[in-house]
Amino acid sequence: MARNFFTLMRSSAPTATAVSGANQSGPTTTPPPPPNIKEDADAGVHLDPTLEAVRHEITEELDMALQLRQVSAFYGSFQAIDNMSMPIPRNRVTALIGPSGCGKSTLLRCFNRMNDLIPGARVEGEIEFEGRNLLDPAMDAVEVRRRIGMVFQKPNPFPKSIYENVAFGARINGYSGDMDRLVEESLRRAALWDEVKDELDKSGLALSGGQQQRLCIARAIAVQPEIILMDEPASALDPVATLKIEDLMRELAEEYTIVVVTHNMQQAGRVSDYTAFLLAGEERVGRLVEFGPTQDIFTNPLDQRTEDYITGRYG
Amino acid sequence: MTRVSVVAPSAQLTAFSPKVRIRRGVSVAFMVAALLAIAISMIMLGALIVEIAVDGAARLFTDGAPVGREARGGGILTDLPTPAGIGWMTWALPVAVLLPFIGPRLINALVPGLPQIAERAIGFIVVAPAAIFVHILYVRFESAYYVEYAKAVGIDGASGNIFQVLGEASGFQIVRLLLVGILVPLAIFAAGWFWAHRMRRPSLIIPAIIIAGWVVYLFMDPWFLSSFPSRKPADAGIFSAVTGTLYMMVITVAVAFPLGVGAAIYLEEYAKPNWFSRMIQVNISNLAGVPSIIYGLLGLQVFVRVLEFERSVLAGACTMALLVMPIIIVSAQEALRTVPPSMREAAYAVGATRWQVIRFHVLPYAFGGMLTGNILAMSRAIGETAPLIAIGALTFIAFLADSPTDDFTVLPIQIFNWVARPQAGFHEIAASAIIVLMAILLLMNAAAIIMRQRTRTDW
Repeated sequence: MARNFFTLMRSSAPTATAVSGANQSGPTTTPPPPPNIKEDADAGVHLDPTLEAVRHEITEELDMALQLRQVSAFYGSFQAIDNMSMPIPRNRVTALIGPSGCGKSTLLRCFNRMNDLIPGARVEGEIEFEGRNLLDPAMDAVEVRRRIGMVFQKPNPFPKSIYENVAFGARINGYSGDMDRLVEESLRRAALWDEVKDELDKSGLALSGGQQQRLCIARAIAVQPEIILMDEPASALDPVATLKIEDLMRELAEEYTIVVVTHNMQQAGRVSDYTAFLLAGEERVGRLVEFGPTQDIFTNPLDQRTEDYITGRYG
Repeated sequence: MTRVSVVAPSAQLTAFSPKVRIRRGVSVAFMVAALLAIAISMIMLGALIVEIAVDGAARLFTDGAPVGREARGGGILTDLPTPAGIGWMTWALPVAVLLPFIGPRLINALVPGLPQIAERAIGFIVVAPAAIFVHILYVRFESAYYVEYAKAVGIDGASGNIFQVLGEASGFQIVRLLLVGILVPLAIFAAGWFWAHRMRRPSLIIPAIIIAGWVVYLFMDPWFLSSFPSRKPADAGIFSAVTGTLYMMVITVAVAFPLGVGAAIYLEEYAKPNWFSRMIQVNISNLAGVPSIIYGLLGLQVFVRVLEFERSVLAGACTMALLVMPIIIVSAQEALRTVPPSMREAAYAVGATRWQVIRFHVLPYAFGGMLTGNILAMSRAIGETAPLIAIGALTFIAFLADSPTDDFTVLPIQIFNWVARPQAGFHEIAASAIIVLMAILLLMNAAAIIMRQRTRTDW
């Protein structure tokens, strides 16, 4: 099923709608969209909600870690994202790009039910994760968060020792194996072991910003998730630390599915295999504009607004 | 002062403003006073040292330490009432606290742009004599008290001269005179030290040292702390009141802290923001403003009569727990709100349940703040009198409570009782009891401040 989705051309709109609504119990409300290509894009930033996002052809054969179907998110009466449908390919880095306020972070937080923690927030639609809808209230949000880890924009280690930072998640999830080895392994994979191996008792807050962020990645890895969500993980770091985090993301992609939100075009181009471009219209509701392999999005954007954004014509 | 300033031009400009001129005047006066103090204190101190060396030291060793009022032998000051020397504490405290704040400003006003090392040196030159000056004043005070007493008991020729006082005093009293007389000056000296080293928290250190001085003072006269109340002021002590206070506080904390913190956790972490939790919140705030006598009446009916605790420590502690519960809840809520959302998110993101987030991250982080609130609530409870009078706590207890169901009294009630008596002697020991109560309060508040700063620096 997932592969079908990716073989679709952007122009075959009716099929796209059918597929995106294939597992949907209710009827699809979106009418077959007209092609939303460069010639039509003179209207500026205003998004027509009836338009489907543009999708590129995907050539490689892929499993899908997540499958979004018509996901909308609300904070109280404010709608933050509207009707997003897209896949997240397994063992690939998927970047979510777009200007501020377009709902990237909101979307990311839907993936591991972090929005549950915000009073008044609700998410509609469906996110398929291993055959189940993880947005289903019957689904255990704690289990979802254990299997879909998250790294935040600002490094936020616990005010505890480095060792405890990494071990905490495993311990509360009933990990019974060799904790020392798990900590070492996680820190190694986060490329931090060599720097901290002699001072595991030191507070996680005593590390530098870049080290703290890698510690947070180690902490996320330690619970052995399937997907790691990263919300602008390098935005608070200097270029050297950013480079380390980016290298790390590439390495981790061999074992994990990574979804990364970034403001940095070059970073998205460097680290991601797939890119989703999101944009908010005048009413500040974020919508998916274009999704496809990063290579295609950056070299051959099909939507005028995508091109404007990646060439720097939007702020 | 006419100085040719070679420092920054801004200093040149400010040097002519009237404000600065006044400040300079003040500092000059301060310096003159300090120099005078040095001169006088050197003479006095020298005399004192000689006196002790020649005469006092012998007494110090021959008299030995007293174990009670009866054990004090010889010397005319034997029956000197306890509160001697308390008066100077009341003004020494503000001096000690204010000096490190005023000092740097004075020096800066006097000599702008001074190198730090010179500023430190001046700090010592000013502070050290100030400390000695305070010591001298204390000695004078004790002497004056002695003269008054000597006149009262009909001793001829009492002049208040330091040599005469020392000559008449027992070894124990000399130790007291020196120890206490030196402790507060030491505190002031320490204030200068901290200022000179640009430490941030002299405000905490100095009261702590002064409290230590008070405690030493009172323990030098242990009879007051270890005696039960008496009909005669000279024999009356606060033993049962202090132990009753401590006993009641322990039970109050045991009841109020778990309940209050639990309520705060519920309200902050679990309660949905609906009309019910809003109602609870509003009512907690209202309860914090209810007069304490009302809590006393509530305690009288509920604990003393319905639950039949009688006028016991338990009834008093439960009433106090009710009284301070709103304070504990509100401060614990405040502490919980200071936990950064990013830390909660981090814990949730590794698959922690809500309770695990609270247990392993929120509570450890907020515990310092909760403890601070708890101690502040305790220091409110320790001074409360009205509710305990309402539940009928006794004022004359000549034994210690063995169990929570025994009768008890507390310091404020004891003080109230003594102040209400017509004999002047009781007023004096009431003053001493107030000092003890204040020392306990200040110690608790200092502990609260330390804990708050600890938790701040840990993050």
